[in-house]
This record gives sequence, C-alpha cells and structure tokens, in this order.
Amino acid sequence: MRPGRRLLDTVPAWMEAHRDAARRSLQRRLQAPILSLISIAVLGFILALPAYLWVLLDNARALSAHIDHDPRIALYLDAVEPDTVAELEHHLESDARVERWDWIDADEALAQYRERLADPGLLDWLDENPLPDVIDVVPATTDPAALGALRDALAAIAPGAGVVSDDDWVRQLNSLHQLGLRILAVVGALLGLGAVLILALATASELRERQEEIAISRISGATHCFLRRPSLYGGLITGLGGGVFAGMLLLTGIALSRAPLEQAAAAFDLPFRLALPGASHLLTLLLAGLLLGWLGARLGSGHALRDAP
Amino acid sequence: MIRLQRVTKRFGSAAEALSNVSLRVDPGAMAFITGPSGAGKSTLLRLIAGLERPTRGRIQVNGHDLDRLSPRAIPGFRRSIGLVFQDHRLLFDRPVFDNVALPLEILAYRRPEMRKRVRAALDKVGLLHKEAANPRTLSAGEQQRVGIARAIVHRPVLLLADEPTGNLDPALSREILRLFDDFNGVGMTALIASHDVGLVESMGKPILHLEDGRIEARATTGQPA
Ligand SMILES: Nc1ncnc2c1ncn2[C@@H]1O[C@H](COP(=O)(O)OP(=O)(O)OP(=O)(O)O)[C@@H](O)[C@H]1O
Ligand SMILES: [Mg+2]
Repeated sequence: MRPGRRLLDTVPAWMEAHRDAARRSLQRRLQAPILSLISIAVLGFILALPAYLWVLLDNARALSAHIDHDPRIALYLDAVEPDTVAELEHHLESDARVERWDWIDADEALAQYRERLADPGLLDWLDENPLPDVIDVVPATTDPAALGALRDALAAIAPGAGVVSDDDWVRQLNSLHQLGLRILAVVGALLGLGAVLILALATASELRERQEEIAISRISGATHCFLRRPSLYGGLITGLGGGVFAGMLLLTGIALSRAPLEQAAAAFDLPFRLALPGASHLLTLLLAGLLLGWLGARLGSGHALRDAP
Repeated sequence: MIRLQRVTKRFGSAAEALSNVSLRVDPGAMAFITGPSGAGKSTLLRLIAGLERPTRGRIQVNGHDLDRLSPRAIPGFRRSIGLVFQDHRLLFDRPVFDNVALPLEILAYRRPEMRKRVRAALDKVGLLHKEAANPRTLSAGEQQRVGIARAIVHRPVLLLADEPTGNLDPALSREILRLFDDFNGVGMTALIASHDVGLVESMGKPILHLEDGRIEARATTGQPA
C-alpha cells in the first residue's frame, strides 16, 4: 500500500528500467523501420560530407609533411654582380644553417637540359643561354622559421638574386590546410545543427503519435525523465546507425575517388596518396553520430513533452 | 484523505460544473457519488485527482494541498492514486498485460514482481486468460475491467473510479464493487461515481448525491462537511 517505496530502491531496478526503455525504443523502431531508416540515412549523409573533407585535408597535410623532409633554397643569380656572388659564397660557407650548397653553372645546366630534350636542335635557335647561374642551397634545418630567416639573410646580401625556397609552397599548402580546416569547422557545425533540428523534429512527431500513452503515464505518475528516456535511447540508436552508415559512405566514397584523385595529383607531380580513414576517424564519426542523435532527441522530446499537460 | 472546501469549477464562460462543493472522505473510507448525467461527477473526480484545477476553493488529498503541490511532487502524488476512467483510456498499441503493467513500469518494478502483480490484478477482474489479447478485441465490459485492473495493480492508497460498472451486467457489477470493498478492507480509500443508484445503495456505504453541480447529502452515514 505504499507504491512509492519501490521507486529506484535498487540499482538493478534502475538498470532494468533503462534496459526496458532502450528495448522498447528499439522495438518501436523495428516496428516502423522505414521512418527510422530515413532518420539514420539523413544523419549518415550529413555526417559523411564533412568526414570526407576531413580525410582529404588530412591526406593533404601528409603531402606537405612529405615535402618538408627536403627543403631547398635556390638562388637565381642572373642579375647579381660577381662581387655579390663572392659575398654570398662566403656567407654560405660560414652560416651554420646551411648543410651544403652547389653551384649550378648556367652552361652546365643548359647542357643537361639539352640532353633531356627530344629535339636538342631547338636550343640552337637561342642566341644566348637563357638559364641563369644557380646556387642550390640545402639547409641544415627543416624548421620553417629558421628557413625563413636564412632565406631573408640571403636575400639581404644579394637583393638582385631571385630567392626561391620550395618551402614557400609548403607554407602555402599549410595555410590552405588551415583554411580548409576552418571551412570544415563551419560547414560541419552548420550541417550538425541541421541534423540536430531534423532529428528533433522526428522525435517530436514520434512523441505526438504516442500522446495518449504519455497522457496516461503522466496521470499514473510518470516523471519527465521517465517519459523522455525512450526518446533519448532512440536518439542514441539513430546516432549509432547514422555513424555506421556515414562510415560506410565515407569508405565507399574514398574507394571510388581514390584513383581519379591520385591521377590528378600525379599530373601536377604531387606524391599524393589517398589513405583510407583510420580507426580514429571512424570512431570520431561514430561519436559525432551518437552526440547529434542524443542532442536531437533531447531537444525534440524536451519540446514535445513541455506542452503536454 | 479527501477534503474539499467550497470548491467551484467553471469551464470557460459556461455555467458552473461544480458550485460550492464541500465534502470529506476519511482515510480508509469508501463512498459513492451519484447523480444524473452532467451533474459534475467526473469533474469532481478529476479535480480530486489533480487533473483539473478548481476555479475557487481548496482541495486537500492525502495530506497534499493540491493548490500548493510543486511540479516535482506531482508524480509522487499521482502514484498514490488509482484512476478508473469513464472511457477506460486503454492503449490499443499493446496487449492487455502491458496496459495493466504501465503503472508498475513507472514505479520501476522488476520483471518477476511485475508479472506476479499484473496477473493477480487481471485474475481479480476475471481476465487472466486475456492477458495477451489486444484491448481492441475485447468487449466494452472487458475493456472496462482492464481499466480497473490497471487502476488497482499498484495498490494505490486512494481509488477514484468513474462509472467503473457502466458497461457491466449486474452480477459482474456487484463483483467489481465487492472487489473494491475488499481492497477497502485492507486500507484503500475509495470514491466511486455511478449512475446505478440501486446497486450503490445495496453496498451500504455513504452516498454523496450531486445535482447540477451541488451536493445533496442523502447519505446513510455520509458527511457533507
Ligand atoms: N472539459 C470541459 N469543458 C467544458 N465543459 C465541461 C468539461 N468537462 C465537463 N464539462 C461540463 O461540466 C458539466 C459536468 O460534467 P461531468 O462530466 O462532470 O458530468 P457527469 O456527472 O460526469 O456526467 P455523466 O454521468 O454523463 O458522466 C457538464 O455540463 C459538462 O458539459
Ligand atoms: Mg462522467
């Protein structure tokens, strides 16, 4: 005769209540599989797009890391006085940031170039050697800041020299990567917000269909938590499904776009390899799905249960 | 257990469904409400269950002042009450067993105990053999009895029953009222609304007669307070 007595009086009862809510939620989903699958598909699509971008960016960064191993600075000397060249050579000898340096004579370079041409006769059309003398510097450091400083030092000695370091494009790639990450964050956040709203809508309409059950449960003393619990488990189920589906979409998308992407990169002489996403990518995807599913269910159930009596 | 002081209920601008009703039902008592259709019996029960708020007046139930019941205290209050609805309000998306089990689920009963109690309640209303049936497939009287089983399954301290025998034949009606009487015997307070004056009078319990929203005591031992 004291019905409140048993409420949550034991941890097993509490766990059983949660298991019941989860099971009930799963059963309901299995009874209306089409609607649940639509929710899962929507979440999967929404997750897959930023995930794909993310994998691309990750691979692009691997590309820049690859280049980083062997930074070079080339000094083009066509507009540089011999005195200045001597000064440059002197500096290169003494600067600790320089591993070694090679003088590439213009005539020598032209001769090499001639060997590689299919029709060497072409070069005879030229009145004089168009190639400059070049000093090829191999720095002792790969640190971008130190490289930048070395580059500036060389440019200061020979203002007329064209100083080109191939870490320039590594830097550009890095800033592109940063930009990509920022775009990914914005796009991801917007898509995630959209997913949460769609799932909230689905949860609210599902609860509206169960209005009578909720009314009777309320009258029988159900708490807000009790009433929303199946919805939250439902959100987690949808989130799990969406995460798995997104993972499958991602793997498929990468498998399909790998060859064309690598071919395109090869056309630009880039050693680009599209690696399959690792376990951490897939796990993140799964967690993102669970989080979005849960948030959507929370928002939707909070709204739907608030107006009920 | 129940105490109403000068309670008035008006729906919108319509006439008053209840006017200045005062009554008292002591703990452990069993009483009936009679009166013609539209007299306000259902409204009175809904007010006591806290499903409606009075326009004026004060309602105390089971030690709670309903006007001052905080939202957090409402679920606990409702769990102590069993409600039989005039229109049953069963859930047709699940079998009889699950309908009756609903209050126990809310109370977080564990499976074996839940099964035992649901079976016992269904047995008491003579529907144990229908536990797996969908309530839609039951007769009106059977549906009514499922509603009764759901109202008593968690052994509430207070039973509020609105026409619990409306669809039952005289023999079954008597049996259900006797069931309530049994529960009353072990401490459950009961307030039961019914048209059936003859049956009600045969129970020898206090009767509150409602006419046009007003109490007219014609109680054997009933007490308009
Ligand atoms: N939700 C409501 N909105 C407006 N008026 C209502 C509402 N509920 C009840 N009423 C009115 O209150 C009055 C009393 O209704 P109530 O349902 O309490 O009567 P009753 O005694 O239970 O009748 P019956 O025996 O037919 O069930 C009626 O005039 C009814 O029209
Ligand atoms: Mg009524």
